[in-house]
Amino acid sequence: MIKVSNLSKKYVGKPAVDNISFNVESGEIVGFLGPNGAGKTTTIRMLTGYIPPTSGTALIGGYDIFQDSINAKQKIGYMPENVPLYDDMRVREYLLFRAELKGLRGQDVRKHMNEALELCSIKDIKGQMISSLSKGFRQRVGLADALINKPPLLILDEPTNGLDPSQIRSFRELIKELAENHTILISTHILNEVELTCDRVLIINKGKMIGNNTPLELSEKIKSSTTINLELKSQDQDIRDTILNISGIKKVTLEKEENGWKFIRIRIDYGNDLREEIMNLGKKRNWLIREIHYQRSNLEDAYIEMIQNKHK
Amino acid sequence: MERSQYIILFLIIFITVIPTVYFLLNRTGIIILKKELKSIIYSPIAWIIVSLVMLLNGFSFTAALEILRKNDIDETLVCYTFSSTSFWFTYFFIFPVITMRLFAEENKVGTIETLLTAPVKTIHVLLAKYFSSLLFYIILWIPSVVNFILLWLSSKENSEAIGSLGGAYTIVLLLGIFNLSIGCLTSALTKNQLVAAMACFTFCMLHFLIGFILQDLPVPDLWRNGLFYVSTVNHVEVFINGLIDTRQLVYYLSFTALILLLTYNILEFRKWKA
Repeated sequence: MIKVSNLSKKYVGKPAVDNISFNVESGEIVGFLGPNGAGKTTTIRMLTGYIPPTSGTALIGGYDIFQDSINAKQKIGYMPENVPLYDDMRVREYLLFRAELKGLRGQDVRKHMNEALELCSIKDIKGQMISSLSKGFRQRVGLADALINKPPLLILDEPTNGLDPSQIRSFRELIKELAENHTILISTHILNEVELTCDRVLIINKGKMIGNNTPLELSEKIKSSTTINLELKSQDQDIRDTILNISGIKKVTLEKEENGWKFIRIRIDYGNDLREEIMNLGKKRNWLIREIHYQRSNLEDAYIEMIQNKHK
Repeated sequence: MERSQYIILFLIIFITVIPTVYFLLNRTGIIILKKELKSIIYSPIAWIIVSLVMLLNGFSFTAALEILRKNDIDETLVCYTFSSTSFWFTYFFIFPVITMRLFAEENKVGTIETLLTAPVKTIHVLLAKYFSSLLFYIILWIPSVVNFILLWLSSKENSEAIGSLGGAYTIVLLLGIFNLSIGCLTSALTKNQLVAAMACFTFCMLHFLIGFILQDLPVPDLWRNGLFYVSTVNHVEVFINGLIDTRQLVYYLSFTALILLLTYNILEFRKWKA
């Protein structure tokens, strides 16, 4: 569905997106993940034909978005960041306008609008002014607009930005529902979302593509190291060294000290649970231990690790 | 007709009729035009302008009638109506008010992105917005024609004023065509409606008065004469006397085309900064 090769964008000589390539197959839900300012929006704007790349190409459903933009744009339903809408229109009026603009004619216009209203469950507010809508409803109107002409590809830029938790959940369900008939590319900086909805994750940082995996693969990737968090009280000065003496321990850091309690973070190999050894050591040295916690790795760790590694 | 006149005629047709026909043949352009016109007509500010313009037209018309009744002068009613100060002073507020929101608002809210990522061409968006403002401008002037028609019906012998009336409305239309394109340009340049409005007003006013302003400034004669020649005030005088001057026709229409071309390039600007 999307075929991106060697796409780059430079602003005043500084690369915002640097030579990225990826494919998205039909029917996939792909998460486009990266910290703020990583180049997600720039990439998406290039994919939707809003700005041209400095170099490289992007094919949408077989059409080049820059050479054959009208055909390519027909295939995309795009919801930009913050969902810009015309505040002086009513929901129904806006959707009718957008439907006609996207090339629907005659009977189709109303039919498609009603289907989109139904799908996004905004039938009740179709007579309201857009300026009076809450953030959640605006988001739904934006989505209804994106899918009104039933494009095979939906591109959503930070769709859950600014929604409250229950709205995020219902939005997520809606996206899963849409996934049956659409290929979806969602950009986000929230990991949870990717973990729950996406088949595949593309990670971008500082304009470079640094990951292209399933969420599972991604967490596997950093399972090579896990941490144990330890809180103890003791007068010993050589705590760090004694723990390091246990075989299998890679790194020990003293995070902070509060009222005599020491917070220690221990890095170990994945699957090598050394809690028992540490407890035994503690008993031997008469440490007062109030917490020992084996931290399972999740997507977040993987993500942060990947990004920080690339920084160095 | 001479050969040069044929060339002028061809030029006018080339720069006005072709883009208009090209635009009218396209569905998406018409759809955007309809939406733009709707959002002008549904907004209260449009009707405030309409009533203010009617009020001012009424003032200058009545004042002109008064002058003609009291004095025995050779000038026509149209001349007096269209040369009153109150008319021209307020006239240039119309353009910024109609055009300021065209692009500035879309730039600010970000809807320009959804608009241009829909399967539409930028040129259609531009022409649709421009023609919508032009249509509203024409609607604005319809009530004022009624004044003259009523008077004409009541005194049939005043028929020589028809030429002058036609000339006056032609220059009003021409100025509208030209100044609205300036409004489009300034609106596309900024996110801020107020900045767009101020810039538009300044340009229109400057263009209107440039010949007079330069009279008192120490500039070379060549400049003074040249700029006096493009200054709107002089054109108005020629037209309200009933002479439709093709030089002005070509001047305004070709400049409009140029300014719309500039606006188009500003809308496409994001495509070439790299």
